[in-house]
Amino acid sequence: MNVFALDWYLIALIMFIGFYCMLASRSIVRQLVGLEIVSKAAMLALISAGALTNNLVYAQAILITMIVIEVVVVATGLALLVKNFRLHGAADIWNLDSLKG
Amino acid sequence: MDKGLLAYLLIPLFTAVLIPFIARNRPRLADIFANVTLLAGLVNLLWLALRPSVIAGGFADIPGDALSLLLVAAVYLVGLCVTFFSAYFMEEGLPNRQAYYSLILTSIAAMTGVVTTGDFFTLYVFIEVLAVTSFALITTDDSAGGIEGAIKYFFLTFPASALIMVGIAIFMISLGSLSFDSLRVYMSSDMPDGPVVFASALIMLGFLIKSGVVPFHAWTPDAYQGSYAPVSAHLAGIVTKISGVYAVVKLATLLRFFDGRAQALSELVMFLGLLSIAVGAIAALRQTSFKRMLAFSSISQVGYIVLAAGLGTPLAIMGAVFHLINHATFKTTLFLNSASLEKAAGTTDMDKLGGMEHAMPWTSWTSVIALLSTAGVPPLSGFWSKLLIILALWESGLKTYAVLALLFSIVTLAYFMIMQRKVFFGRKSPAAERSSEVSAPLLAPAVLMCGVIVALGLLFPYFYQYVKVVAERIIL
Repeated sequence: MNVFALDWYLIALIMFIGFYCMLASRSIVRQLVGLEIVSKAAMLALISAGALTNNLVYAQAILITMIVIEVVVVATGLALLVKNFRLHGAADIWNLDSLKG
Repeated sequence: MDKGLLAYLLIPLFTAVLIPFIARNRPRLADIFANVTLLAGLVNLLWLALRPSVIAGGFADIPGDALSLLLVAAVYLVGLCVTFFSAYFMEEGLPNRQAYYSLILTSIAAMTGVVTTGDFFTLYVFIEVLAVTSFALITTDDSAGGIEGAIKYFFLTFPASALIMVGIAIFMISLGSLSFDSLRVYMSSDMPDGPVVFASALIMLGFLIKSGVVPFHAWTPDAYQGSYAPVSAHLAGIVTKISGVYAVVKLATLLRFFDGRAQALSELVMFLGLLSIAVGAIAALRQTSFKRMLAFSSISQVGYIVLAAGLGTPLAIMGAVFHLINHATFKTTLFLNSASLEKAAGTTDMDKLGGMEHAMPWTSWTSVIALLSTAGVPPLSGFWSKLLIILALWESGLKTYAVLALLFSIVTLAYFMIMQRKVFFGRKSPAAERSSEVSAPLLAPAVLMCGVIVALGLLFPYFYQYVKVVAERIIL
């Protein structure tokens, strides 16, 4: 079996796990963890693409930029989480229902 | 990257870094810095595009693909209106002015990056920067609504980014490069194979989620309704349009939807466009909050742009680009007016307002002009863009789509008329008795935008020439 086929099988699996985690959990913290798993799958896809096309240098450059962005995104997500916890006293996603119509 | 326009990215970014240091003890200085930077940029851009010699030459001298220049000008125009409005809207001390203006300028720099970039990865980077600044801006004031809107936006926009990233990885395998040109060349050579179609579909899905088209519209009304009042004008007017809709239009031209090699994707995008026109318009009919109604109206107008982008013929792309600009003008006016209402009357609940035109005549009349333009009443600019889109649909033989788009344009007029009657016309409510017109600086951005709407409508032949240059350069 081609090693890259296995790569992409695992990437699809990890991505599915991440989306399932986001769908099935009520806590914002767990949703954030699920989001992280999804973006890790995207990163693995990039590495695998770089290795497959013998272009690892390019993939590496892209990946490092992506990790930096990832850090900023996680920081923003945690900031939102903390602010929400201060306002509502809970991290339950179902409490977020004041805006509707 | 379009190097001629790089300065429009770097200067706001530089000012954004400078503001926290220079204006540390003098918050008013932050207002001045932000406004002067954007005004200077806008004047410069207008000189670049509207010199008499350029107009006489039929806009052939415009550098790059003329689309970037047009959209950078739109970004600066909306940015200037929002910063000028905020300078007079904000209470003393709250929120932190230095941070607020730094974030607005960073988001303007990021939007300039998005519209001038030439490859998918740079596009991704700038869109993420734009998203991160948007969350901070949405939660400018400490209300519970802002944080809720921001969290919903967060949990829909970042999975979309992950999908875009996987699409980019597949492009890397099958195209070998991530530049827009390599995709364009690939699509014009022969029938696309499976991986490219799959990757394009993933990237398109990501951008459709980011632009808030109907099955993925859950975050849009909440984010617009919950955010700080001038920020909702910034978000609805330009940020989500650049981060989502511009990318959809760009991808539609790169995939050459007009020659039918990506038929299935094109049909899907058109269907989603029509669906969001319908759902947005019908949902807007039954809203009671002014800002939420505007948000659903925004979904509906985005539907027109996505519908035209899905069709992809030169005429449709011209309509899409023109509607993108128009959307920026009229939606900014309406959201700024809702902010004025919030300041004067203390609420944006349409049931509690009424007869506000006696108290706030200027706000009322700028709203009338903006809503007539949204609904597509001649001679305002919104009429011409909808005309282009519907003509393009009719010309391609999609008569059902054309008729439905026209019918929902009437629904647009209906919900705006309901809004205008409830809020501005009719008997004076207690809220109207208490409130008075906001100060002149708060009215100036809305009046300026109304001027742009009328001017674009009346000078349509010149603008048509410009958009034609755009369509020729980005499609062929």
